Amino acid sequence: MSAPAKEARAVEKVDLRSPEEIRAEKKKGRMGAWLILPGMLYMALFFAAPVVVLLSMSLFVKPEGAELGEFVPGWNFGTYAEVWNRYWPVLLRSFVFALIATVAALIIAFPMAYLVAVRLRGKPLLKGILLVLLIAPFFSSFILRTQAWKQILADEGWIVQTLKAVAILPADGSLTATPFAVICGLTYNFLPFMMLPIYASLERLDTRLLEASGDLYASPAQTFMKVTLPQSMPGVFAGTLLTFIPAAGDYVNAAILGNNRDTSMIGQVIDSRFFKVIDYPGAAALSFILMVCILILVLIYIRRFGTKDLF
Amino acid sequence: MSTTATHESSEFSPVSAGSGADLVLSGISKHFADFTAVQEMDLSIPSGTFIALLGPSGCGKTTTLRMIAGLEAPTSGTITIGGEDMTRLPSHKRPVNTVFQSYALFPHMSILDNVAFGLKQKRDKDAIAKAKAGLEMVELSHLASRKPAQLSGGQQQRVALARALVNRPRVLLLDEPLGALDMKLRRQMQVELKKIQMEVGLTFIHVTHDQEEAMTMADVVAVMNQGRIEQMGSPRELYELPRTAFVANFLGKSNLMEGAVVADAGPAIVVDVAGQRFELLKERAVATEGKIVVGVRPEKMRIAELDKPGFEHAGNQLVGTVTDASFTGVSTEYLVDVPGVGTVGTFTQNLGQDPARPGDKVRMSWEPEYTFGLGADEDLEAGVQAS
Repeated sequence: MSAPAKEARAVEKVDLRSPEEIRAEKKKGRMGAWLILPGMLYMALFFAAPVVVLLSMSLFVKPEGAELGEFVPGWNFGTYAEVWNRYWPVLLRSFVFALIATVAALIIAFPMAYLVAVRLRGKPLLKGILLVLLIAPFFSSFILRTQAWKQILADEGWIVQTLKAVAILPADGSLTATPFAVICGLTYNFLPFMMLPIYASLERLDTRLLEASGDLYASPAQTFMKVTLPQSMPGVFAGTLLTFIPAAGDYVNAAILGNNRDTSMIGQVIDSRFFKVIDYPGAAALSFILMVCILILVLIYIRRFGTKDLF
Repeated sequence: MSTTATHESSEFSPVSAGSGADLVLSGISKHFADFTAVQEMDLSIPSGTFIALLGPSGCGKTTTLRMIAGLEAPTSGTITIGGEDMTRLPSHKRPVNTVFQSYALFPHMSILDNVAFGLKQKRDKDAIAKAKAGLEMVELSHLASRKPAQLSGGQQQRVALARALVNRPRVLLLDEPLGALDMKLRRQMQVELKKIQMEVGLTFIHVTHDQEEAMTMADVVAVMNQGRIEQMGSPRELYELPRTAFVANFLGKSNLMEGAVVADAGPAIVVDVAGQRFELLKERAVATEGKIVVGVRPEKMRIAELDKPGFEHAGNQLVGTVTDASFTGVSTEYLVDVPGVGTVGTFTQNLGQDPARPGDKVRMSWEPEYTFGLGADEDLEAGVQAS
């Protein structure tokens, strides 16, 4: 085909639309661009720019004889090596705590979500009451609720007393200011982020599939493993991400419920680097390392479990 | 209703013994909080039978099916299969499989995994091979690796059927499995289902509200109404000799007329309906004394202009005025107003004759042996369907 012929056909194609249609479509396109503009601006201003600032800050250099908090722009990659060597155990602990809290939240949230979403179908009143009861505590302050765990796990509290009575906890044992307390706080505070996505996916569960599974010789436990759980995977997946990511970077729970020896999390370190030690490059480098580590872990997780069937 | 004519062979005769087993429901009842779905039902189904539970929505047919499947517990009564009591057994321990109305295919599994599900649960070593054979039977082998959402309704229906059939259950339950299909596919699946049932020789219990579907496919039809079985028998038996007004109206159409027995003529009785005398065989009447209801199927009647010379009429006759005549090509359907009786429906096959027109006076007649008699306390409108 000769070039002019090709061109003629292309022109023909364009001519299929009337000028009004072309104008209308162009207008639609411009409209779309205007609609996403605020979102783009917001992200640029409050996400992209701070990340760039953080990144450059992490490379700042402390000049000779500088005052506290005085840094000048530079390319000091050494900060990364320094904070990594010093704080990798804390980073590891943060991820371990977040992982345990995520698993615990999953174990607690799933049955609750199942009860409300599946078992209470057709009982809207009871379902509504339970949902409100589950969500209501989270209308009160995050700090307050975390403080409450101090009381719950206090040495005079009934939990510690009971555990001592049945000799699970030694007589001089304590639960406050322990890793256990921090994990309890993390689990509790991020529970709604686990429960709500699971609830949403179980809400859509077709119970006729459960009947079909039973009809095909699967016991209730087998039905759960083969039908209910796979059907709720999108919720479990979203819930675990929404719990793990903020839990790994959290510092409030460790600060309130932890101690100075074996509970500090990376969030706390970043906090003290920034505001107490006034080591801006170190804090920025740690923040960046945390971000990248979470990104890598999440990508591995998505690769492994987030198959296309789930979404 | 031409379907009966084509099914001379559907006299009650269970197809080979097969691997099915007798299913017996005795005194089964199911009460829900505010209504009774099934009342004191007794039903015995010989192995290898294709039985249809036919009735309008809410008649208890699906509840009956769910009780057999173990998805619903009966309030009272027992269910046995081949002599074994199943009443308290959970669904996953019953040798029964269901083809659900919604198909209920597992959306996260491939078609092959769906079909192999039951076999794998039973730890069948040849699960995959048998599932493949099952897919072959419903001619869907080429879609084995697809997901249910990628299949059409008719294909999903066949997968659901294969998924249940490969387990060779002693009883296969079908809960309006053709309900979601369009007319053409429905007819095709009816034929296929019947063919498969003949091949495998299993007991099929098919729930439907479509009387034509029930009559075409089943060896035995049980007509259900308000939680009870009104009448049970071969499609032909039910059609030719309904025992209640509900059956007479729900299965095809009937002209029902109230009358009183005025004479006993040996094997027959004479009934007076609005001044007209009809003969009726005693064996075709539920009651033979006092007030009764006389019925006749529309296609059993002949119709001709009043005093048309040379027209041969049968013994039982009615005279009336045509109020509506609709020409459908194959036939002309008439509504005739008969004083003292009401509107009577009939039709004539198109043999080239000049049809009667609204306003014409006509005489209708039918053979006494086509007449059937029902009890006096029947509601003449029971079971009448809109269409």
